[in-house]
Amino acid sequence: MKLFSGMLVATEEGVEATESHHWLWPEGYEIAFGGIASIIIFALLFWKVGPLVKKAMAARTQRVQDELDTAAADQSAADAEAQQILAAKGDIGAERSRLLADADTRAEALVVEGRARLDQEIAELHAKADADMAAVMNRGSDELRAEIARLASEAAEQLVTGGLDEAAHQDLIESFIQRVGASS
Amino acid sequence: MNDGQIDGYARALFEVARAEGTLDEVEDELFRFARSYESSDELRNALTDDAIPPSKRQAIVEDLLGGKATPSTVQLISMVVGSGRSGDLPAIIDRMVERAAGAKDLAVAEVRTAVALTDDQQGRLRAALANATGKAVSLKTVVDPSVLGGIRATVGDTVIDGSVRTHLDQLKSRL
Repeated sequence: MKLFSGMLVATEEGVEATESHHWLWPEGYEIAFGGIASIIIFALLFWKVGPLVKKAMAARTQRVQDELDTAAADQSAADAEAQQILAAKGDIGAERSRLLADADTRAEALVVEGRARLDQEIAELHAKADADMAAVMNRGSDELRAEIARLASEAAEQLVTGGLDEAAHQDLIESFIQRVGASS
Repeated sequence: MNDGQIDGYARALFEVARAEGTLDEVEDELFRFARSYESSDELRNALTDDAIPPSKRQAIVEDLLGGKATPSTVQLISMVVGSGRSGDLPAIIDRMVERAAGAKDLAVAEVRTAVALTDDQQGRLRAALANATGKAVSLKTVVDPSVLGGIRATVGDTVIDGSVRTHLDQLKSRL
């Protein structure tokens, strides 16, 4: 843009312009000098800057390699830790299963024991109830028998004493004397 | 009181009655008094009450038996009561009766009846008991309404029981 503007300004100001033999290609000497200069510059660059670049690249390569190694080590550590966690998780699961199984066993034993105790208590209560009922029935029967016996004996005594007049007394006495006299 | 003391008192009663020539009568009266003493709670309590002075108890005996028993009997019982042995009166008298019967080579036969026996019945019963036990017996009769009827005879350790009371008790026991 500046070159074009300068050319316009120069044209306008009447300065004499130079023309090349081709509007696109430079002149031959320019190419030769430019090429030599470029070669010199590239050589200098290769000679002076190349080792620096090579060293920097090696350092960078080393740094990247270190980072890769560190990352690999970290990954290994993470993997190991993950394995440990998984193993621990497995242990926790096993312990949980064991505790649950133990709790189930104990609960089952408690249920069985409680049921047995309950059955025993029920059996004892049944037995006690049966015994109480039998005792009550026996007591009632005994009391009834005793009452009947008492009433019967009272009735017998009243009957006998009521019928014991003087003649009966004398009969009893004579009967006793004869019976004793007959025995020897 | 121990057995020796009872025997001592019995011997004393026996010797006094024999010395006075009233052994049979005193023996019989003492026996009846002993049975009355056993059957009467009131008499037993009065004669064994330590709160009553011995002289008062002797006065009770004399009031009770005065005119109903020979003076010897009253004096002998009064002597035992005065010595504070009222509780042992039946045992002392029974031992004295045994001694008296033993002196005549007789066994004592205690006969309990609900009604009094006639003399004829007593004679036949004496002979029957002698026949049954093989010993001549001295009959001591007691009218005891609790036998209800019949006779209950005890000769030593032998009991011949034909009382209505015993039959009723046996019936009650079976029932």
